[in-house]
Amino acid sequence: MTADQIREYLEPRRHEFADPRSLVLPALKFAQTGRGYLTREDMEAVAEATGYSASYVESVATFYDRVYTEPVGTRVVSVCVSMSCQLRGADQVWEALCDKEGVDHHHGGTSADGRITVQEAQCLGYCDRAACIQVDAEETQGPHTPDSARALVDELRAAPDPDEYWR
Amino acid sequence: MPLLNSVYRQREAGKPLVTLDDYRAAGGYQALPKVLAEMDPDDLQYEFMRSGLRGRGGAGFPMGKKASFLPKDSQRPKYVVCNADESEPGTFKDREIMEFNPFQLLEGITLAGYAIGAVRGYIYIRGEYEHQARVLDRAVAEARAAGLLGTGLFKSTFDFDITVYRGAGAYICGEETALLESLEGKRGQPRLKPPFPAVAGLYHSPTLINNVETLAALPPIVEKGADWYAGLGTEKSPGTKIFCVSGHVMRPGNYEIVLGETTLRELIFVHAGGLRPGRRVKAVWVGGSSVPPLGEQHLDTPLDYEALAAAGTMLGSGGCIVMDDSGSVVRTTLRLVTFYRHESCGKCSPCREGTSWMEKLLQRIVDGQAGPDDLEMLKALFGRISGRTLCPLAEGAVGPVRTALELFPDDWADALENGVPVPEPMLPVSS
Amino acid sequence: MADYARVDLDAENQVTFELNGRQVSAPAGTMLVDACYAHGVEVPIFCYEPRIGPPVGACRMCLVEVEGMRGLQTACSTPVRPDMVVRTDSPAAKDGQEGVLEILLMNHPLDCPVCDKGGECPLQDRSFKFGGGKSRFFEGKRHFPKPLELSSRIALDQERCISCFRCVRFSQEVAQDGQLTMQERGVQSQITTFSGDAYEDRFTGNIIDVCPVGALTSIPYRFVARPWDITNTPSVCGLCPVGCNTELTLRDGDVKRVTGRPDPNYEVEEGWLCDVGRWGFDGDGGITRLTRAIVRDANGERHTDLTDAVAAATVALRGASKPVGVLLGATATVEEAAIALELAGGALAGARVARLGIPAAPLAALRATPRAQLDEIERADLVAVVGGDPGLAQPITELRMRKAVLRNGARLVTIGSRPGTLADVATHVHAAPGALTAAVAELAAQIGATGRPVVLWDEAELAAEPAAAEALAEAVSANGATRQIELGADVNGAGLRALGIPATGLLEALEAGELGALLTVRADPRSAPGRVAWEAALEGDVPVVALATHADRTTDAATVVIPVQSLLEQEGTLVSMTGRAQRVRRGAEGPAGAAPGWEVLIALGHHLGAPPAYRTASAALAAAGGRYAGIEGLTYDAMGVGGVELPRPAADHLAADAGPARAAGSDGLALVATRDVYGGREASRAPALAAFHAPAAATVSPATAAALDVTDADTVTLTSPYGAASLPVRIVDGLSDDAVFVTLGTADAAAEALMPPDRGPVRVGVSVEARR
Ligand SMILES: Cc1cc2nc3c(=O)[nH]c(=O)nc-3n(C[C@H](O)[C@H](O)[C@H](O)COP(=O)(O)O)c2cc1C
Ligand code: SF4
Ligand code: FES
Repeated sequence: MTADQIREYLEPRRHEFADPRSLVLPALKFAQTGRGYLTREDMEAVAEATGYSASYVESVATFYDRVYTEPVGTRVVSVCVSMSCQLRGADQVWEALCDKEGVDHHHGGTSADGRITVQEAQCLGYCDRAACIQVDAEETQGPHTPDSARALVDELRAAPDPDEYWR
Repeated sequence: MPLLNSVYRQREAGKPLVTLDDYRAAGGYQALPKVLAEMDPDDLQYEFMRSGLRGRGGAGFPMGKKASFLPKDSQRPKYVVCNADESEPGTFKDREIMEFNPFQLLEGITLAGYAIGAVRGYIYIRGEYEHQARVLDRAVAEARAAGLLGTGLFKSTFDFDITVYRGAGAYICGEETALLESLEGKRGQPRLKPPFPAVAGLYHSPTLINNVETLAALPPIVEKGADWYAGLGTEKSPGTKIFCVSGHVMRPGNYEIVLGETTLRELIFVHAGGLRPGRRVKAVWVGGSSVPPLGEQHLDTPLDYEALAAAGTMLGSGGCIVMDDSGSVVRTTLRLVTFYRHESCGKCSPCREGTSWMEKLLQRIVDGQAGPDDLEMLKALFGRISGRTLCPLAEGAVGPVRTALELFPDDWADALENGVPVPEPMLPVSS
Repeated sequence: MADYARVDLDAENQVTFELNGRQVSAPAGTMLVDACYAHGVEVPIFCYEPRIGPPVGACRMCLVEVEGMRGLQTACSTPVRPDMVVRTDSPAAKDGQEGVLEILLMNHPLDCPVCDKGGECPLQDRSFKFGGGKSRFFEGKRHFPKPLELSSRIALDQERCISCFRCVRFSQEVAQDGQLTMQERGVQSQITTFSGDAYEDRFTGNIIDVCPVGALTSIPYRFVARPWDITNTPSVCGLCPVGCNTELTLRDGDVKRVTGRPDPNYEVEEGWLCDVGRWGFDGDGGITRLTRAIVRDANGERHTDLTDAVAAATVALRGASKPVGVLLGATATVEEAAIALELAGGALAGARVARLGIPAAPLAALRATPRAQLDEIERADLVAVVGGDPGLAQPITELRMRKAVLRNGARLVTIGSRPGTLADVATHVHAAPGALTAAVAELAAQIGATGRPVVLWDEAELAAEPAAAEALAEAVSANGATRQIELGADVNGAGLRALGIPATGLLEALEAGELGALLTVRADPRSAPGRVAWEAALEGDVPVVALATHADRTTDAATVVIPVQSLLEQEGTLVSMTGRAQRVRRGAEGPAGAAPGWEVLIALGHHLGAPPAYRTASAALAAAGGRYAGIEGLTYDAMGVGGVELPRPAADHLAADAGPARAAGSDGLALVATRDVYGGREASRAPALAAFHAPAAATVSPATAAALDVTDADTVTLTSPYGAASLPVRIVDGLSDDAVFVTLGTADAAAEALMPPDRGPVRVGVSVEARR
């Protein structure tokens, strides 16, 4: 994402904030829609577009779980492992997906083909549909079982890449 | 006791109210023109105060009183901030308001804005609610197009607009000062208080921060009057409150009840469909994961602020997590502490280090590698953390563990002896 | 202690409260920690650092009990209130403090024996003093890769970090370089820079001083010394005219480290140092250091000892049939100058004494207006900088100005030919070289409209525009509240002027053949502005006796070279640009073949047969204090540790010290010569400062580059009426067009060749020399 593209996105929003620093987080989220994560260049572009130092931009980025400063897969599958989901089998869903995608059971990770990142999530606010799974940030679904979760990633793998990545 | 869908007008209407027409047809946007035509801001504040509405985000502070703390003579612009960060485990009520009844929230924020003389409202919504944020974006655009946001609302001199601001995955941003930091484009780390947001909040300006449910309760209060609202529930806990029931119940979901009229037992067994056959209640975290659990013996506690406090817990956010006797208090407690360790912002030492060490100790207990000394150390740690942190996050981590130790001593003794096997989860219930 | 803010117990608005059973008072608004400290009660802290900014309440170390408030309170962020009852030593408060220490030590490695901070570590000290003994928590500690090179000068050990945020706050809020931040969150939080890039900037070393643990340490100081085999001495930095107060760490007769004073001088540096001040000491060793005296005569050149050299110097000076010239460099101390004057009155009767520097007359009126110390900057509502680039020439002033803007909301205006290092916080009013007078007139109107203006003015640029200096003097005195601060060009320029020493006369006398010999004291006229003229004047057979620390162009050609001790090695007094007389102390022993400059001068007096009546530096100063009005009564005792402010010079002081009237003319481009301590000779000698070493350049604006048809791959020859220099081109935005910017004090002294000895104004012709 270039600084100009980010500026163009921010421009209509600028008047909504008394301090332009407020644009840093929207800028990061927008910059991430391009690749699904931020490269060094992306963060430099955010810094340039917002007027804050690259180091500052990175310190904000790394505070938040959903801003990625390392490469992730085409789709990010978040398995909620908080209490309500835990009580309804989230751990089993988690294990099933880690096994299926061949990633570390403690930290999750990205499948070898780069298509799917499996990660733990803290409560996603869908406890009534536990065990729930979120795909990127746009869609949360449940209740899931290990079987339905495996079917979900198969579907995702087969689906075309999204135009924008909202995570 | 029956449900009373006042905030959940969409349930009353029997359909989502995601278009302005539908919301209007269901009685929406009657309060705002009435207020702008008939009331001055102080009257409206007084109306909120008289309704007795208490904050629904967790602390239960009277909403009207908080609004009255904003300095009247400040030269700085004032703001309303709607806390839609909803990240407390077990809590999912705000999600339903925003997804299915967004205009009531917008109307409520606008009313609050008028009452304090604000120039803009912000909805700080957690990043994971991208879908709901888009619903809000559309609703804001529609309201703006219809002249319900913008300049000179209903031909008055009141200018007001609303911005939807997305978070990016950090529970701590639900804490009001961390939220403000995040909204200012910073790392979401809580500020020292005082000054409180009412005096120096967003951009150092006087700011009113309320939860989604609190603000969405305002239109009905104006429509039907503060007396009506104050007449619901108990004297200190008036009005309706949404409880989010999850965990080992047959019908998990949101239930809006009148405070004080319904007991915990009714909530679980009547509204939420009870447990699986043959199961008994083991523990209930009534107000979200940050509150001390209750046991089976507490089931007849009425659901209101005072009664729950008397039972040793808090109403909190209303995120009622139910665990039956197939679950393990010890394992669940570890899960909860892992959550707080993960979400600690790292600014103050007792929380940053303390949550991490509590997790390590609990993990050893769950793994069956701990001795009785470790339980003592855990307890010692509570005193090292509690009351000494910058914000209440760590309190939410300590309280539930402390109470779990007190209420279920046998479970801990057993865990020390044998560790904790992974319990069979409850099979998902299709809705 | 720098950790706690100063508290004025005599201020008016005192609030009385109870502290550990005693009735005490402090001004309203004072934070409890500071009030306690002022009354002898230490409440432990880590994150609090009032110099950096308001309290953040992060570490929770400062817990105390306040009656009527629930739980324990953080004393760093609780202001005193009337009648509050505070206990810092009650069981509850002690439990709070012990608890936080225990928590902090959970993840902190217990590697004190191998830690550079061991023995001088606040965490270690406070653990002994306020801790509960032994930690009860035994779990695996957090691990990070260790240690990292945060920059070429600073090592970072993440595992030792206690997340007090002091360093990142310094970087963000004091230096405002934006580079150092906290990343990740929770227990994973760590200090770092963007993508782990090196933290290279101008004030970085201060983070080592503020770090309360061994997380940030100096790479040059790593494993060099242990706290029990060092001694610390307060001193003053001699690298620029600000005169920052420093502390020298000594071991085995060497300076191993320079740090900010633990007890800062708030009127000067406030405890901060620039990186050159911190690591420049490194250059006192090095290959150009003079370690043995040199005598050159018909038989050639020989190295010799001090006694022999002084004897040879005596011969050279006494042999002259005409009067001797004595030339003092900018770092000559007050004592050395005073002894030189005394020699000129006796042993070298008739000698003409001058300093290398800027003539005083054009600035006399301005210097006589009300002056301020640097702390006044933070109380100003308008801070104006007229000319210069203080961030490079008088670095520490930059931090004060940033503080005024960021913390106190002052308006900062820079006026001149380049925005400089303050560009991000200042409003820049452009004034082309030679056009300051008009800009000063505009400033005068603004000064009239504000309450507490402080004007900082650049000595070199205003001396080159006497009309602007006069206008500024008027503007400052017009409003009784305005204060001025001189951004001086020469380290001890103010001290030499206080003794009445002019910058003019000597070269002229030399050129006229009126002098029979030259004695230089820490002066290198062959590298100074006007060096072409100096070289020409020295062409003949005038013998030169040079007292110097390092080999330079003058010592290379001198008849007798006597090595003297550096300002880290000998006693002396420097007067800062704000008129503060401050002591440098003997720290390092220096080379065996060198002696203190003042001692060499006294010895010369003896050999010349008119010995001064004292034998120590302090007696020399006391004698001078009785003789010269400018330093009346000045003694080492009077200066104490923090120095004393000398009276302002009268408006007619050194009235005759003026160069010839110079019209700049209109041919060629204006030459702007700035001092840049980072690019200067001292910095280039210090290996620790390698990151700053950069070649001298002819810097121009993009428009000027286009007009000259040059790129930054070209080298140009600059020609002025005074000389010529060949320099590579650099192109920088924001500079005046039709001007060339050069740096003074670089190793090759290229810029100096273009200038007259009184420094300006100068215009240069430019020709492209070579295209690469
Ligand atoms: C760690 C922490 C997390 C919180 N999270 C939320 C949240 O997600 N939503 C919310 O409305 N309030 C949350 N709160 C409470 C807010 O700080 C604040 O009290 C609330 O937004 C005020 O609104 P109310 O008075 O309407 O409840 C949280 C508090 C803490 C300490
Ligand atoms: S590195 Fe030192 S100064 Fe920086 S946060 Fe850590 S302990 Fe504090
Ligand atoms: S010194 Fe008070 S919280 Fe750190």
